[in-house]
Amino acid sequence: MNVQITEVTRRFGRTQAVAGVSLETGPGVFGLLGPNGAGKTTLLRMMATVVPPSSGSMRLLGRDPGSYASRKEIRRRLGYLPQNLGYYPGFTVAEFVEYFALLKEMPAGQVPRAVAAAVERVDLGGKARAKLRTLSGGMLRRAGIAQAIVNDPELLLLDEPTAGLDPEQRMVFRGLLRDLGQRSTVVVSTHLVEDVGAACSQVAVMNEGQVVFHGTPADLTARGEGTGAAGDAPLERGYSSVLAAARSSLAARS
Amino acid sequence: MTGPDTSWDVTGGPDGVPGRAPSDVDMNQVWLGVAAQVWRRRPDLPERLAGRLLRSPGLARALVVTPSLLLAWVIASAVVLAAGTAATLGTGTPYVALLAPAVAGTGIAYAYGPGIDPAWELSRSMAISDRMVLLVRALAVFALNAGLGLVASLASGAAAAVTFGWLVPMTAVSALALAVATVARSANVGVVAGLGGWTITVLSGRAASGQFTAAVTSSALVLPYLVVAAACGAIAWCATRIPRGTP
Amino acid sequence: MDDDGLIAAVAAGDDSALRELFSRHAPWLAARLRSVLPAADVEDVLQETFLAVWRGAGGYRPESAAGGWIWGIARRQAALFLRRSGSSSLVLPAVTAADGRGAGDPAEAALSRAALAEAVSVLGPEGCPEREAWRLLYVEDRPVAEVARLMGVPEGTVKSRAHRVRRLLRAALRSGSLADGGIR
Repeated sequence: MNVQITEVTRRFGRTQAVAGVSLETGPGVFGLLGPNGAGKTTLLRMMATVVPPSSGSMRLLGRDPGSYASRKEIRRRLGYLPQNLGYYPGFTVAEFVEYFALLKEMPAGQVPRAVAAAVERVDLGGKARAKLRTLSGGMLRRAGIAQAIVNDPELLLLDEPTAGLDPEQRMVFRGLLRDLGQRSTVVVSTHLVEDVGAACSQVAVMNEGQVVFHGTPADLTARGEGTGAAGDAPLERGYSSVLAAARSSLAARS
Repeated sequence: MTGPDTSWDVTGGPDGVPGRAPSDVDMNQVWLGVAAQVWRRRPDLPERLAGRLLRSPGLARALVVTPSLLLAWVIASAVVLAAGTAATLGTGTPYVALLAPAVAGTGIAYAYGPGIDPAWELSRSMAISDRMVLLVRALAVFALNAGLGLVASLASGAAAAVTFGWLVPMTAVSALALAVATVARSANVGVVAGLGGWTITVLSGRAASGQFTAAVTSSALVLPYLVVAAACGAIAWCATRIPRGTP
Repeated sequence: MDDDGLIAAVAAGDDSALRELFSRHAPWLAARLRSVLPAADVEDVLQETFLAVWRGAGGYRPESAAGGWIWGIARRQAALFLRRSGSSSLVLPAVTAADGRGAGDPAEAALSRAALAEAVSVLGPEGCPEREAWRLLYVEDRPVAEVARLMGVPEGTVKSRAHRVRRLLRAALRSGSLADGGIR
């Protein structure tokens, strides 16, 4: 089990971003769906050890991120792509990926080859020495994915990774996800339901800081059958159905 | 993106004979070996030395890309202090002592932190912690500016009390600039706070004692400066612990 | 863009041009090298070849054929590699013999190695001046000046020994191929 989260909450001031989430997952691709404000990004940030939970316990890669030494160990084996990734305009793609490889304390001797592999993996080989400021949004996103995978992470966290990618690139990206999911745990947070169906072995749907569904994409599809829920594709209908149920039960409670 | 079935098959050859790569030769790996060497960055001497000193190539790299440690910035700081030296020699007013804290404060605000680092969120998930980077950068910027200031001070022939007297206020101003930059998530706001705070201190000192240098030479101010420095340091520390941001 | 333009771009520091050169030429280079070297060695030699192309593109003269120029670099890199790894001194002549042929059949390469071994024995016993000159000049691909220094003789002597070696080998290979009913 690479990720073991138990009753984790996170509060920002008066906002309860994550209100009691429990999850367990091993190698494979795990999709996190939900509307804006559902708490997906906060959950991902907690798994990336960027934000500590307000309560609850977490074990990542078999370690407790609460202690400094364990957190460092986790971070060496972690790959993270935030939703809003800033970039250094004067850096080239290779320099950008190399910078984070070094900050992840990869052995210096391994860095050049790992950088080359990561850059080629996201198909930016032709732009390796181009400055980031000359790249399009989609290319920048791919550069972000490259830095996330450069250290061959055991836990890869991707927040809206396909933003700015065209449909063909998204298709190839899903292939990349499946490859990565062979050995590592990949958690993908997205609002694009079709990305999830194609690549993920498990899916969770979040709403208002809680997980309202956890199962396989097939299970999610099944939830939408015969309900007349909105959506063009079966998976979308399952998603809408789950959300509708969650919202109505919330309304009923309040 | 290159998938597992991408092939490097191409026709070619000096005699036009088509060549297919042998199936047991991994062309992808060959290209990666070439690309690794062609794309690699070779660190220059300062970075290599820093890497050995800090025992961390990552920390060294983070240090040499600090905006206020880039050559252009260092030269600008030196020029400002040199102007101060010239003005001091010309007028007798110890401008260096007044300028040094201001220059340092500006440099510190641009050392790191959410205000200046666009990839702040990502940096917080790194094995080399953002605080470590901040600490090393702040110390390096401070040391550099202190060094430049000392040289300028000595060159301007100022008295010993004034030559070293600005080190303590410099610490306070730097800490203030850093704390504000970190909390406000903006290097510019930090600079304004640092410069503003220092200007107020200098003018108050002059109003109280009639001398511009009161802010630097008055021993009664040493303790308040140190308290401010410590408090601002603590604020910067806390501000880098729990990041705000979209939940 | 044609090969000359690509090499000029590489000389100017364009790594995308190097990538394009690689995709055009690496496959057939790999095939040629593979007929005489094991796969792992081919990968190493090919990698060093393109790094040498990257570093030495400035020395390319557009009058020469790009493919031939790159093959020349590959051959030199193979020689360096074999010298470093102390491999059989008969593998390199087979690499040289791969000039002007397409992706060789390993069996044919083996035959040519055997023919060469027989021919080389004509030069004399191991350690005699002709064998030494053969080894240093043609197997290890060293320049004449270096061979002269190593053998402790003037360059003119090295050149005349090389001439004698070539004459003897030509005769031996010709008669050998005739005796075997014409391998070539």
